Amino acid sequence: MDPVLFIAGLILSSIVATIIAIFYSLVLPGIERKLQARVQQRIGPPVLTPGWWAVLKFWYKGKAEPIAQMPLFYKSLIWLGIAVVLLLFLFSTPYWWVVLGWGSVLGIAGFLKLEEVLYVLMGSQSQSILTTPMPMNDLVKGAKVKGVLREFVEQHSAERALKMMAVGSLPLYIALLVPFVAARSGMISDVIRAQNPVYFNSSWLSLPLPSNPVILTVPGFLAAVVYFVGYLMLLNEKPFSILKAKVDVIEGGVLEYASKLRAGYYLMRNLLLFALSSIFVTLFIGIPFDPFMPLCFILNMILSLILPIAMAILVAFSPILTFRQIYPATVGLSALGVLALILSVSL
Amino acid sequence: MTERSKDVVVEKELSFGPVHPALIEPFRIRLFVNDEIVEDCELTINIPHRGVERLLEGLPVERALLITERVCGICSNVHAWNSVRVVESGLNIKVPDRANYIRVLINEVQRIASHLIFFGHAFEVLGHETFSMRSFLLREVFMDLMAYIGGNRVMPSVPVIGGIRPRADLTESLKRVILERVDDFEKKYLEFVERVVADPLVMSRLTGVGLMSKDEAIKYHATGPTGRASGWDYDVRRMMYEYKPFDFNVVVLPEGDNKARVVARALEVIESLKIIRQVVKNLPEGPIVNRDWVPGKMDFTTMYFETFRGELMHSYSLDSQGLIRGYKIRTPTPTNLAAMENVCIGDHVTDAVLTIASCDPCMTCCNRVEVIDSGKTRIMSEIEIVRKYGWRR
Repeated sequence: MDPVLFIAGLILSSIVATIIAIFYSLVLPGIERKLQARVQQRIGPPVLTPGWWAVLKFWYKGKAEPIAQMPLFYKSLIWLGIAVVLLLFLFSTPYWWVVLGWGSVLGIAGFLKLEEVLYVLMGSQSQSILTTPMPMNDLVKGAKVKGVLREFVEQHSAERALKMMAVGSLPLYIALLVPFVAARSGMISDVIRAQNPVYFNSSWLSLPLPSNPVILTVPGFLAAVVYFVGYLMLLNEKPFSILKAKVDVIEGGVLEYASKLRAGYYLMRNLLLFALSSIFVTLFIGIPFDPFMPLCFILNMILSLILPIAMAILVAFSPILTFRQIYPATVGLSALGVLALILSVSL
Repeated sequence: MTERSKDVVVEKELSFGPVHPALIEPFRIRLFVNDEIVEDCELTINIPHRGVERLLEGLPVERALLITERVCGICSNVHAWNSVRVVESGLNIKVPDRANYIRVLINEVQRIASHLIFFGHAFEVLGHETFSMRSFLLREVFMDLMAYIGGNRVMPSVPVIGGIRPRADLTESLKRVILERVDDFEKKYLEFVERVVADPLVMSRLTGVGLMSKDEAIKYHATGPTGRASGWDYDVRRMMYEYKPFDFNVVVLPEGDNKARVVARALEVIESLKIIRQVVKNLPEGPIVNRDWVPGKMDFTTMYFETFRGELMHSYSLDSQGLIRGYKIRTPTPTNLAAMENVCIGDHVTDAVLTIASCDPCMTCCNRVEVIDSGKTRIMSEIEIVRKYGWRR
């Protein structure tokens, strides 16, 4: 392809994909919350409220400076997070597959890991008034344990984020490998070629359906289940929301984000929700988000609802698990992921 | 600071509150932790001191009800009832049987509402929103019943000295409504409890966490369902003549963990339903209030009562004009507080807050401790006061 045409296509596809992703991802939390509410016999909020209106409302709220060790760095983490998630999503769209060779398992895993690191950084920066600086006479009153480090709850959340980064998200990365092993390649384009060969010869108005989706195989299905649980861990959703357990660390590292920054955080979180769902459809069902094939990306968006809907139902029925339960759950899921990986060799 | 951890080296301190989204009342928790494990705990209360005992000083005894009922929003009736029991005992005022039956009825209705609010809060702390919402939905039945009987959902104001308010007398149609609502509730409640107990994720959070032995329960005087869930068979209702006509079991569980504390309350609700049915079916005819008494001098009289969280004490005297002197209230939470500090040791941080919630604390109601030390100014925590002076001084 002519390099000029390719760059023009890349820019155009990026703009279209970004706009659609932002608009659509802000609808997902509303669907999620509505479903949860119905499970709980509540009416729930209007579908657009938790995503769209919340972001717009916070965007126009008065400026509130966060209390952090390095406020500028803390604030920039949100915009960095949005950029990371957008790049993660864009590298799963066809025009970006060939850019720097990052349209691969390594590209996806790398961006996801970077996203996880952000929570550690946010947690270690934030210093809300709700804990250590709360004016209380207990230091005057004294205790037998003296001179110990008084830690902010956000810092405790950062430690938890580090543990989740090291252990909790492992199943997701193992599950992510299965479609690539089945395609005998590390590139997303080869995964699509193995599952949906007609996609590459289709016109822009057609709807190329996969002939051999990996999710319909035993290892693919097992990997999809493991991916779903890893998805919950990466999104810090119940039962794996230990880094933002309201009962102790409250919102964790994102506690101090207010007004525009809070809007930015919602945007980041919702984009990640959509990006991970869209990547699931791309890798496990074989339907990529192609901004230049309307039917193809619409189908990708519709199928992207599978994971948020499943998540909403599970979240409604789950308590928050502590590391007493998370560690064994991770070991079990990782074992299941490894089994799927071994089985996928035979595909 | 607890005895168990005197020699433990701790890595850091985590402090929550008094302003914190998970705390329904303002109090301070200091957790001394190694990684995620709690090595020691310190609870500080007395943030919203309201001076209830001071307000009662010098009031005519008939008017005390106006204030005692407002000590707590969840167990308003027990404070009102125990307040009148003191003067009824001190001045030998006979209460008609019908009035006693209706007092028991409203108390058990409120006990169920209290236990359901406990479930709502405990499941919220557990992170299980659906169970929490469900608990609050089920509770509505008993909030409505309180309004039907007493005219108010939160403060039914049923007891008065010598009996009950005429407003709270049961009519035949009201008796029928109570039985219908209780039957309907029981069906839904049993389904709910079965669902909770069968939930593996919830049980994995509750089982084996926050262990308190029977000896510890007795040592720290953890009363109510908190102590009974550790195997301590102690319920003041057994000693109350008002409860003599009723057949009910005192729920005692040996496990002593968070699960036992939840299950004990769940089973107590069923026992309360039994009592409510007995009241409605066997309600005697007769007067509902004895007006044949005169306020006058009364020596210090103390009455104990089994409230929903544990043992409640009201104590006061009357002067020759019938005015209150030296009112003392001890709610169940101060005694359970020392137990709470101990039981969360060894738990994960997230579990520790759940363990404290599983003891069903009501912090605001217990802020009435007064210590006058001899000439030396010193700030003391209530736990220090317990150690130094004990509760039954």
